[in-house]
Amino acid sequence: MLRKILFYFTLALILFVTLFPLYWVVTTSMKTMRDAFAMPPVWLFSPTLENYGKILTNPAFLKGFANSLVISVTASVLAIVVAAFAAYGIVQQGPARRRSIEGFVLSLRIAPAILFVIPTYYLSMRLGLLNSHGLLIAVYAFINIPFAISLLVTFFEEVPREMREAGLMDGAGELRVFWHIVLPVVRGGLVATLILCVLFTWNEFFIALVLSGRDTQTLPVTITSFLTFQGIEWGALTAAATLIMLPMIILGMLVQGTVVRGMAAGSVKG
Amino acid sequence: MHPISRNPTRLFYQPVIGFLALAAFALLGYALWLCLHNIYLMGTKGTQFVGLQNFVRLATDWRGLQALWRTALFVALATSAEVVLGIAIALFLDKEFRGKKLVRAVILVPMIMTPVIAGLTWRFLFNAQSGMINYWLSTVGIAPVDWLGNPNVALYAVLVADIWQWTPFVVLLAMATLETIPKDLVEAARMDGASEIRVIWHVILPMLRRTLAVAALIRAIDSVKAFDLFYIMTKGGPALSTETQNLYGYTVAFTNFDISYAMTIALFLTIVTNIALLLLNRFAMPKGVR
Repeated sequence: MLRKILFYFTLALILFVTLFPLYWVVTTSMKTMRDAFAMPPVWLFSPTLENYGKILTNPAFLKGFANSLVISVTASVLAIVVAAFAAYGIVQQGPARRRSIEGFVLSLRIAPAILFVIPTYYLSMRLGLLNSHGLLIAVYAFINIPFAISLLVTFFEEVPREMREAGLMDGAGELRVFWHIVLPVVRGGLVATLILCVLFTWNEFFIALVLSGRDTQTLPVTITSFLTFQGIEWGALTAAATLIMLPMIILGMLVQGTVVRGMAAGSVKG
Repeated sequence: MHPISRNPTRLFYQPVIGFLALAAFALLGYALWLCLHNIYLMGTKGTQFVGLQNFVRLATDWRGLQALWRTALFVALATSAEVVLGIAIALFLDKEFRGKKLVRAVILVPMIMTPVIAGLTWRFLFNAQSGMINYWLSTVGIAPVDWLGNPNVALYAVLVADIWQWTPFVVLLAMATLETIPKDLVEAARMDGASEIRVIWHVILPMLRRTLAVAALIRAIDSVKAFDLFYIMTKGGPALSTETQNLYGYTVAFTNFDISYAMTIALFLTIVTNIALLLLNRFAMPKGVR
């Protein structure tokens, strides 16, 4: 009995520490200025949507939202299309060739972003591309491709070899087999990978900070511009923060099992 | 003989991998070219070849060396804390109880929370005047600490945020492996009268070794690159006390616009990281993991 109480107590503590920061942001976004800074903190308060009204009429925030949406979805869809072909091809190769290709793909994922962000910045500056959506979409697609390949490979592996062989025996070409037989089987994996690409692109900050211009700022950059020296407006800031992260937390929940699998893909089996 | 491989499946990946390889090598070549020149966007001097001058400058750059040391410290502390805590929590949760699915979902939240928002939130919690951390400390009679304003503690405040955000990754990875461990083996050891600690140490942990090594490696690589939390919470300050090599490279490139020198820092960081990982892989990893 005592063991059980101890177990649930520790469990509650773990969950509390995990969720408290999230809880605090969301509740602060629904507090009035006075409640937000009350010391000792107020646990019971009458919620207000005033902060959301403020942020949803802020043109910079709306612009950032549109940019984030367009850039993350386009770059992810592009990456998935390309990566699906590559992953299918890689899975069909012998073990030695597979290992070397997957090793190369993994090394692309490991390289620090700053290594290619500086040359890309300098080059695009000289070409006058620093304020274009195309640049960010291309860069994010380029980053998402290696990630999507390693994750998709794990889904393509699970397709029974006999299915593909049966298709080839029936005289279907490799492209038809890929399109009509294998792709429908991995549909779930494709969707999960797409969602994860959107999630990572949406959340990404460093590249966006360097390579986005006035018209192409994504939300993580937009929200840092609210951190002004005149003092931080925490109410509006936390409302914006909630609107930025909540869609991603919902998306992440939809593909729960795949998040960790995706981050470890390509390195767990080595 | 055959300009195009006879195996048609190769055509599925060759264009993509070929393009990626080409782009990677072109960028690396361009990066090297930048390192060997003196591109400085605030000056009026033309671009000149300067040889290894940037590397010499880096070797004697006290600020850069301190940033490198700080990066090593942060990576070591973050990785070890996350792996130890992660494995402990995973072992703790490795039993059947109601709501396990929900617990697993909750644990995922920090990982998928936008890192910039996580940084803002922790900055908020660590706030010296109105932050919750100081409030809780005050309830047990501890004087307020200026977490993000004191050069001696700011790095550890960022560390706490990083541990909060990334321990879940280790927990979930270890939980997934624990579920594949044959339960009868563990039961047999318990039946033999082995204490719980011995069962964990001698039966369960050896089977988790590979997963732990992978988790540690991934966390180490990611914490070398850590940027978002630092940028939001401290921006390298106060008094440069939280400036890591990655952040220093960023500042040199995009505040001072000293492109060539920043490139040198970035390249150096990549090389040092790779050497460290190779050594770690060669000497510290348990056999069979490689």
